[in-house]
Amino acid sequence: MAVIRRPRRPHLLWLLVPFVLYIGALPFVNRVEPVVLGLPFFFAWMLAATVLTPVAAYLTWRGDLKARAGR
Amino acid sequence: MSAGAVATSIFAVFMVLTVALGLLAVRGRGGQGGLAEWSVGGRSLGAVFIWVLMAGESYTSFSYLGAAGWGYNFGAPVLYVVAYMSCGYAVGYVVGPMLWAYAREHGLVGITDMIAHRYGRPWLGAVVAVLATVFLLPYIQLQITGMGVVVSTISYGSISLNWAYFLAFAVTTGFVVVSGLRGSAWVSVLKDVLVIATLGFLAIYVPLHYFGGYGEFLDRVVAEKPDWLTLPGAGDSGYGTAWFASTSLLNALTVVIFPTTVAGYLGARNADALRRNAIWLPAYNVLLFVPMLLGMAALFVVPGLTGADSNLALFKLVTDALPAWAVGVIGVAAALSSIVPMAVFMLVIGTMWGRSVLSLVPRLHSQPRQKAASQTVVVIAGTLALILTYAAPNTLVRLSLISYEGMAQLLPMLLLGLVWRRLSLAGAVSGLAVGVGAVCALVFTGNDPVFGVNAGLVALAVNLGVALAVTWARPADVDGRADAEVLASDPGTAVVTSGTSRAGCA
Repeated sequence: MAVIRRPRRPHLLWLLVPFVLYIGALPFVNRVEPVVLGLPFFFAWMLAATVLTPVAAYLTWRGDLKARAGR
Repeated sequence: MSAGAVATSIFAVFMVLTVALGLLAVRGRGGQGGLAEWSVGGRSLGAVFIWVLMAGESYTSFSYLGAAGWGYNFGAPVLYVVAYMSCGYAVGYVVGPMLWAYAREHGLVGITDMIAHRYGRPWLGAVVAVLATVFLLPYIQLQITGMGVVVSTISYGSISLNWAYFLAFAVTTGFVVVSGLRGSAWVSVLKDVLVIATLGFLAIYVPLHYFGGYGEFLDRVVAEKPDWLTLPGAGDSGYGTAWFASTSLLNALTVVIFPTTVAGYLGARNADALRRNAIWLPAYNVLLFVPMLLGMAALFVVPGLTGADSNLALFKLVTDALPAWAVGVIGVAAALSSIVPMAVFMLVIGTMWGRSVLSLVPRLHSQPRQKAASQTVVVIAGTLALILTYAAPNTLVRLSLISYEGMAQLLPMLLLGLVWRRLSLAGAVSGLAVGVGAVCALVFTGNDPVFGVNAGLVALAVNLGVALAVTWARPADVDGRADAEVLASDPGTAVVTSGTSRAGCA
């Protein structure tokens, strides 16, 4: 019988970063002050999360790349 | 020339260009390649085209109308759109390549034939196709009405709403029937260029023009409209942190199996194009902050908009402040934001029916006939949405309330089913039935959000519980196929071996 083996990919944990930033952090970031560069804090936080999400995805991708190279 | 004539002329030129571009996309391919060429672009789109297409289909007329309208009415809750899209792209990093490989391996073109293949039941594909069509039709209508109000506004009223609705339908049908997903990707290029340019321009121009600069604009918002800046937003919105969290979570999971997203996945040339897109697509989300903030800027410039008018918050600023030609170009960008998603919605409905429903009719079973049937369904679905827009606009608006939360109920059947062999047909079907029933019951009785939580997520939990209970309560399905035939795995990392002893090399 053909069997699927799924290798361990611990670097996939990077993909939790947007969930932590956008959802997990909500109770702590739902505020106006301090204002960051004129932006109210909640909006500044969401903007920062939006910029950091591609970074997390990149780190995942790099992890996959290394895993494939090492195999 | 009057302002209306200038803006209308610019708009007309671009609409002709759109249809031409859509049709040019398949030049030299002369109708060859069958259903897979039309539905999923022959699985041949590279990383850049996939980016353009997926950005093009996820940033709909909502980005111009709804995002600004929500910003205007409520403020902060609208950020859930950014939150779920970013989280959704992260989920898509894992799910996208898996679905892509599964479809390629077994020659599938959408979620309905994936489900039919997984459970070995063609009728189940047909049932899911009908259900998904009910959830998708409202989106076509939303795009038609969205484009209608934009066109009517930017032409300073010289194109009536009813004509504008028809234009939306005609332009989209004009190319998608012939050129399918590839045509949509080409039109997306024009769309993305215009969207990025116009939103970038507005982000700088509006605060300067009305407030003297960003600092002044933001200072005024912070000083005068603090209610808009945190959850649950202005007024008695009911969109608190629990709602924000549950909706972002549910939508992030749902967006990866949404039939239009999956069409984009399946169009990719290879799995790595999808993984790299998971990196670059979230960057596009930065643009969504623009209409949201401009919606809040409209609070100061055009106060007192209510109901559907608040969706025009952004365009009130634009027509008020800019010369006619610029209004025309911004209108084109917004119109294309309706056209591209609408094209993919229609394409997906056509594909689902051609492949999973009409193919059950023996005469329509062959590949070329499936494609012809799909193209016919595209025109029927578009016409139906157009007629409903004129005749019974509220029917589809009501349906749209359950669209996303309803589609979410396919998650256990599709995604869990593709990685867990034990999930049984009876379990998946009962879960889906109970889940969709729960969504309808909660939404139509006015209980969404329920106790502050997105009703779709509550229904999904019930759905999953029922699916697991029924699966464990009954004996396993009898199916002679091997796991590798039925389940999906990540291409490039998972290894399929012919024995249980050793891992082979990929």
